[in-house]
Amino acid sequence: MLVAATAASVVVRSLTQAALDALAARGAARVKSQLRRRVIEAVDRGGSAALGQRSSAGIATLVGQGLDALDGYVGQYLPQLILTAVATPLVVAALLLSDLATGIAVIVTLPLIPLFMVLIGWATQAMQRSQWQALQRLSQGFLEVVQGLSTLTIFGRQHRQSARIERVTDDYRVRTMRVLRVSFLSSFALELAASLSVAVVAVSVGVRLIEGSIPFALGLFVLILAPEAYLPLRMVGARFHAAADGLAAAEEVLDLLHEADARPDAAAPVAPAAARPGEAHGVALALKGVSVDRGGVRVVDGLDAAWRRGTVVAVTGSSGTGKSSLLAAILGFAPHGGRVLIDGVALPPDQRPARLAWAGQRPELTAGPLVDVVALGEATPDAALAARALALAGAIDVPVATVLGPAGAGLSGGQAQRVAIARALYRALAHDLDVVLLDEPTSALDVDAERRVVDGLRAMADAGRLVVVVTHRPAVVEAADEVLDLAAHRAGARATLEEVRSR
Amino acid sequence: MTATSQPAPPAAASIRPVLRAAQPPLRAAAPALLLGALAAGSSVALLATASWLIARAAEQPPILFLGMSIVGVRAFAIGRAVFRYLERVVGHDAAFRALAGLRVSVFRRLLPVAPDGLRGTRSGDVLTTLVRDVDTLQDLPLRVVQPLVSAAIVAGLAVVGVAWLSPVAAAVLLVGLIATTAAATAVLSALSRDAERRIAPLRAELADAVLEYLARWETLRAFGADAARRERVLDLDARLRRAQSRQSAAQGSVAALVTLGGGGMLVATLLVVQPELAAGALTGPELALLVLVPLAIVEVVGALPAALGAWWRVRASAERVADVVPESVPVEIPVAPQQPVSIEGLEPSIRLRGVSARWPGAARPALAPLDLDLRPGDRVVLHGPSGAGKTTLAHVLVRFLEHEGRYELGGVDVRRLHPDDVRRRVVLLEQQPHLFDESIRQNLLFARDTATDAELLAVLERVGLAEWVAERGGLDAPVGERGRLVSGGQAQRLALARGLLCEAPVLVLDEPTANVDPERAEAVLEQLLGAAIGDDRAVLVISHAPVPSHLVTRRVRLEPAP
Repeated sequence: MLVAATAASVVVRSLTQAALDALAARGAARVKSQLRRRVIEAVDRGGSAALGQRSSAGIATLVGQGLDALDGYVGQYLPQLILTAVATPLVVAALLLSDLATGIAVIVTLPLIPLFMVLIGWATQAMQRSQWQALQRLSQGFLEVVQGLSTLTIFGRQHRQSARIERVTDDYRVRTMRVLRVSFLSSFALELAASLSVAVVAVSVGVRLIEGSIPFALGLFVLILAPEAYLPLRMVGARFHAAADGLAAAEEVLDLLHEADARPDAAAPVAPAAARPGEAHGVALALKGVSVDRGGVRVVDGLDAAWRRGTVVAVTGSSGTGKSSLLAAILGFAPHGGRVLIDGVALPPDQRPARLAWAGQRPELTAGPLVDVVALGEATPDAALAARALALAGAIDVPVATVLGPAGAGLSGGQAQRVAIARALYRALAHDLDVVLLDEPTSALDVDAERRVVDGLRAMADAGRLVVVVTHRPAVVEAADEVLDLAAHRAGARATLEEVRSR
Repeated sequence: MTATSQPAPPAAASIRPVLRAAQPPLRAAAPALLLGALAAGSSVALLATASWLIARAAEQPPILFLGMSIVGVRAFAIGRAVFRYLERVVGHDAAFRALAGLRVSVFRRLLPVAPDGLRGTRSGDVLTTLVRDVDTLQDLPLRVVQPLVSAAIVAGLAVVGVAWLSPVAAAVLLVGLIATTAAATAVLSALSRDAERRIAPLRAELADAVLEYLARWETLRAFGADAARRERVLDLDARLRRAQSRQSAAQGSVAALVTLGGGGMLVATLLVVQPELAAGALTGPELALLVLVPLAIVEVVGALPAALGAWWRVRASAERVADVVPESVPVEIPVAPQQPVSIEGLEPSIRLRGVSARWPGAARPALAPLDLDLRPGDRVVLHGPSGAGKTTLAHVLVRFLEHEGRYELGGVDVRRLHPDDVRRRVVLLEQQPHLFDESIRQNLLFARDTATDAELLAVLERVGLAEWVAERGGLDAPVGERGRLVSGGQAQRLALARGLLCEAPVLVLDEPTANVDPERAEAVLEQLLGAAIGDDRAVLVISHAPVPSHLVTRRVRLEPAP
């Protein structure tokens, strides 16, 4: 009978333990997913502005490894805390009921555990903070030598690096051990408090057994139960440090979401405009009084323009005159004043990208096979069309079988730039878009490659499209049908303003 | 995802040297192992003596008989905590010491093949992964060997101790331990081995996808590709979540299994010792001890799941390390000759005849056969479309890559010279120079460590950085991790300053002005090619940007290899 009860309780204990672990882990995973999803949604709503001052690499790390640390908090620390809140009073109550003396001993010794934890936690934290930066730097030491190996080899310094690696690693060990010796103290204190408490209970029960003041069965029961009173609290202590990292990451994510919520939406939903346009006078893109601010400064002021199909337009002006900002405004990525008409229709900002083909200043290539990279956004890439786009962009030297690594790794700077142009041309060809916007498309190209790109753009224009090129290269400006000098426009705008004021 | 095709992963045998380097020698590991066993042993002994004490006390002997066990209970209680603490401190220390040796041994394996012989390092972050994998290997002594060895020692001692009281109970304990361990291993392998191996790559893939989504948001949006990419991020997130749930479900089940095993052993022990108890061969206190040992010992076995998970991670890392670092030097990488000819007294002139070259693992040559002469005072510009092998030629010249055809330095075949010696004469300034996380001074000094501050400031002036360095607070200003605190153009000009400092008679410049503003590019080229660099030096410039003709003595055009 007793044996059967023991067996049954063992089974129940093991099953509930497994269920607790599984449920806690599932909860942690769900919380992480939700936070990740909300960061992505915040970016969708607010554009890159949602990231504020943070770097995208930093945020990627945060929502990746950063949130993984939440496992420690949601998956382990919280359930343990709840378990402690429920189980510890129960066990203590059971002890009090069965043997008052033991119960009191446990109640007196239990608070020692959190007390130790707090005291040691303070000491470690101060220590860790003072060591943190040094540790971060040292932990990069090996990576640095490996990454710089080719530079080191060129200057004949590679053979001395073994000693350097040993020195850096040893320095890292000494400093880390200094922190760990203190950190481990906290679990040492927990173990010691728990062990000694058990020892105290065992000895006092033993002595009272000799006196015959309690029966053996009760003594044994108390002895087995006493460690269970300390166990949950000990686990809370052990998991406290893991939880702290996750909590810091979660706080940062919540801050980011909060800021993003406070910011007005970049692309407020607007009712869709009338579909396809009157093709009035062949004007593909018209700007009416367009003004753009950047960093609180007006860089483009009241710009009017009407550009027709079949032309190449060069937009020039020294750096800082708002060339890229103007493109961003046309694309609807940057807030602006005035109106942008594509094929005669003033589309709301979030619907403009669908009517425009664009290549930005940086290639910003995605990873994957070349054809997929060129046919970005297409469910079924057309290899023949991709080849045609690559040819038009003068990217004949890039093997079609190339598979690009992250951030377009595997291509030279000039190749990446031309692949980015091809990507824009592919889109214009595949969707029969009338407007192609290119930002400094030939800045990394030699004269021959630039000539091929200019020829390709001319061919696109001759096929009835408008090609707008932001550039400072003379060869591109020469080939254009029309030139918009933003520096001159700016000076002109200022003059007009002064004229107005003087009246 | 990498731009080159990866060779098949090597057979399991080749990870052995990697693992051997990660595990400290027995002499270094023994103290931690011993302390671990003592800590685990104390925790079993604490429960055993405590239960024996109480059972014996119930028989109400004179307190004198209990003195030893009362002392024992206290000693084991303190011992458990003290030994555990010492074990962790000593074990971590030993693992960190082993890490230094491991890093050096991996680095020594990198040296003969670096930089061009490392597989796949021309693309992606293979080196970052390599370094992370090497660091994961320190888990081998700390989280795999140590818990397993101390668990085995304690389990063995417990079985022997129990056998002394009751052989039949010891048999139950032994069988129970083996069965629990086997079952836990089997369950864990079946449920989470795949998940465990998938989690790290999935995590990396998710991080890449998130980064691409955030950093490329405007582009993705402009191309209508944002929805598909968002789906991909969410899909990866879901897959990672599933793998992690699976892993934790498996670990939960194993924890349950271990608890079950302990309970089972307890019940079984109770049943099998009945005859001995009835026969009076076993006293009450002894029974209490026998019954409680299994409960204490499963705590020790409970370390198994974590150790197994760590082992799988260590194995995967060891495989990747073995994969990146080839065991033998590929034929495309130069090796030092047995008896190198001394480079002293050789004229620093270069003569190439029909030289072509291939990157390791590539099917086709990246450079078509080329003739080229470079003598002191020459200023040669190398033009050619991208992909014609300009950078390949630069790597051949500094002996990063082996070549076909004839390459002579001062009339001697370079294969008879030590590659290190060749690099003392021919210095390459790379397209993407590495800046070390040190001061500006340190980043310059390794080109010539005898240079004075005045000399350093003079070369900085020549590359147009003097003002900038003064603004930053002088030569002691840091450049940041991977040159984070300097712009691309500044980094490149710092690297050019290295080239001006070093006294090699032949300079090879790979796109020296790629990141420099057009207005400043000409002034920089003037410094690198003009009279100031010296008539006794030869300079070869690879450039896509035009180089003013008064600076150049000859132009060479490369055409792509057929």
